[in-house]
Amino acid sequence: MATENQPVGGLRRSVLRRIEWCYDRLDEYGLLPGVTHGIAFVFVLWTVFPVYWMVSGSLRTRRDLLSTPPQWLPSTLTVENYVELFAQRPEFYDYLFNSVVVTAGATLLAVALGTAATYGFVQYDYPFDMGRFHLPFTILATRFLPPIVTVIPLFRIFDATSLLNTKLGLVLAYAAFNIPFVVWMMKGFFAELPDSIVEAAVMDGHTEMGAFLKVVVPMVRPGLIAATIFTIINAWNDLLFAVILTSDTGAQTLPVALATFKTAYVIEWELLTAAGTIAMAPVLLFAFLVREKLLRGFTMGAVK
Amino acid sequence: MVRVNYDGVTKRYGNEVGAANVDITIEDGEFAVLLGPSGCGKTTTLRCLAGLTDPTDGEIYLGEEPITDVHPKNRDIAMVFQALALYPHMDVASNIGYPLKVAGISKTERAERVEQVAETLEIGDLLDRDTDQLSGGQRQRVAIGRAIVRRPSVFLMDEPLASLDAKLKVEMRNEIKKLQRELGITTLYVTHDQEEAMTLGDKLIVMDDGEVQQIGTPHEVYHDPANRFVAGFIGSPSMNFLRVRRADAETSSVTFDRDGSDHSFDYDAVPTEIDRTTSFVLGVRPQYFEVFQSPMQGTIESRVTVTEPMGDEQLLTVEPIDCEERELTVRVPFDVGVTRGETIWLGVDEASSYVFDAHTGERIIEGGQRSSTTPMAE
Repeated sequence: MATENQPVGGLRRSVLRRIEWCYDRLDEYGLLPGVTHGIAFVFVLWTVFPVYWMVSGSLRTRRDLLSTPPQWLPSTLTVENYVELFAQRPEFYDYLFNSVVVTAGATLLAVALGTAATYGFVQYDYPFDMGRFHLPFTILATRFLPPIVTVIPLFRIFDATSLLNTKLGLVLAYAAFNIPFVVWMMKGFFAELPDSIVEAAVMDGHTEMGAFLKVVVPMVRPGLIAATIFTIINAWNDLLFAVILTSDTGAQTLPVALATFKTAYVIEWELLTAAGTIAMAPVLLFAFLVREKLLRGFTMGAVK
Repeated sequence: MVRVNYDGVTKRYGNEVGAANVDITIEDGEFAVLLGPSGCGKTTTLRCLAGLTDPTDGEIYLGEEPITDVHPKNRDIAMVFQALALYPHMDVASNIGYPLKVAGISKTERAERVEQVAETLEIGDLLDRDTDQLSGGQRQRVAIGRAIVRRPSVFLMDEPLASLDAKLKVEMRNEIKKLQRELGITTLYVTHDQEEAMTLGDKLIVMDDGEVQQIGTPHEVYHDPANRFVAGFIGSPSMNFLRVRRADAETSSVTFDRDGSDHSFDYDAVPTEIDRTTSFVLGVRPQYFEVFQSPMQGTIESRVTVTEPMGDEQLLTVEPIDCEERELTVRVPFDVGVTRGETIWLGVDEASSYVFDAHTGERIIEGGQRSSTTPMAE
C-alpha cells in the first residue's frame, strides 16, 4: 500500500485530496449540480457541435453555410444539397453501394472467423498456455504496426493476385485488419463460459459444432454485437486502405468519395456536408439502436 | 434402461493415472454411487461413461453394446453437472426441454413432457422464469429435469448437491432417491460425501488413487470393509486404527507396536497366520469400544482429552497411556459421566473390529481369506 513517503502515491493522493476538497466546497455552497452539469454541457458541446454543424450545413444554402459571422441556426432549411449531390455526382450511389458491400462482407468475415478462432483457442487444450494467451496475443500483435506499413506490401500482394481495385480485396484487407480486435474482445467472453455448459450441450445431444453455434454463440451475444459494431465502424470509416487499394467507382468507398469534394480549386462545402451526413448516418443509427447491448459488450469480457 | 459394464477402463493423463483398470457392473435400474476423496478418479470414471473423457484403455458396455467410440450425444446418457450448467440465456421451460428440442421433438410434445417433468419436480409454476431468478434448490431441480426429460437409459450425476446447504441437501437427497426409484433409470452418482453415498446408493463403489477399492452394498462396505482405506473412509467419525502385534504366542493378548511398550490388552481374534513378529493394524469403530471407568484387566488405559456432547451421545478423544502419539475417538451414550482429564479403560470387542495388514492395508480374516461379500465385476 502507498504511504505518505512514497512520492508517486503521495502526489496522486494530494491531487485527489485537492479535488475532493473542491468537490466538498461546491457541495457546501449548493453549486455542485450547476458546475457538474456545466462541465458535462461543455463536453457534450465539444463532441456534438461538429456533428450538428455538418448535419445542419447539409440542410442550408451555400451562402448561409459560409456567411460571416457564422449563422449558428440555419435561416432556411432545404434538401437541395442532397438532390444536387446525387444529380451532379450519380457515382455517389456506387460509393454508397461499395461501402455497404465492403463493410458487410468484412464484418461478417472478421466476426465469424475471429469468433470461431477465439473459441478454439480458449476451449481446447494447447501446450504452454498457447491457446489462452500466446496465440491470441500474437494475432493482436499484428496490429501494433502502423497500418501504413502493411498497406504497401498489401498493395504488391493485391497487385499480383488481381485483387487491386476490387471489393473482395477490400473485404479481405478489412477482415484481416479487424480479426485481431474481434479475437481480443471475444477472448474474455469465452474464458468466462464454464466448461460444463459446453459439456451439458453435448450431453443434451449436440455435436461440438452444434454446441458452439446453438449454445455458446447465443451466450456471448453481447460480445458479438460489440465486436460487430467495432468492425463496422473500422471498415466503414477507413480511408487509408481504400485510397491506396482502389482506383475507381468499381470499388471506391464513401470516405474516398468525401476526399474528392476537396479539390485544388474549390471545396464544395454544401455537397461535402451532405455526403458526410450520409456517410455518418448508418453507423450512428446502428450504434444508437443497439446501444444497450453495445455498452454491455464493452463493459463485460474484454474490458473487465 | 440398461446395464452398464466397465471392462478394465484406464485413463492416463500423461504420467498421471486418473482411473486404473476399473471394472464395474451396474445392473439395470440400479442406483450406484462412486465414492471417494477428491482426486480419487471417481469423476474421471463417470466422465468416461458420459463420453466426455476418452479412456486410454478398456471398454465400456451399455447393455451388450461397446460405447467407447460412440459420441456422447448418441449414448442416450443424461448428466447433471456439479456446476449444474443451466443455459443462462433460456428460461426454465426451455432449459428442461432443450434435449428434446435438439432431438427434433415437436413443440407440443415438448411442452407436454416439460410440464410433466416440472410437475414431478414441483417446479410447475416456475416454467417461465429465468434461471437467475431461482434459488439453489430450484436450479437443482431444473438441472435434474433437463436430465430426465428425455428418459435416458442411464442417468449420471456429478456431485449435484455439493453447493447446497445442509438442510436442502438432505431434502434433495430424498427426492433424488424417490425419483430414481419411480423412474427406474440406471444411475451412477458421484460424491465425496459418504453419508450421501450410504443413503442413496444400492451399490457403493469406493475409489482411491484411481483404483476401485471395494464394491458392495452400503451395509457391506460399512460392516465388511475390504481394506483399511475403505474402513477409514466409510463411517463418521472414522474408524480408529491401532498398530499392534501379538504379545506372545500363548496368550490371546496384543501389545502396541512401539519400542519399549509393554502395555497389552486382550484380543483373541488374531488370525492364526499372523505370527509373533508381524505387526498388524486393528480397526475399531468409535462406538464399539467397551468403556470402563475403573481399572479392568486386559483393556487399554486411556486419558480423556476432549469431550464433545452430540445430543444423544458424546464423542471422547482419548490418548492411550502407553501410546501417547495416537489419539482414539470413542463414542459413548450421553449419560456416561466422563470429564476431561479422567482416565478410562477401553476394551476391544472382537466381533466388531477388523484386522488389516500393516503394509498393504488389506483386510486379514482367519484362513487368509476375506469374507468376500463384495461382488467384483465379472
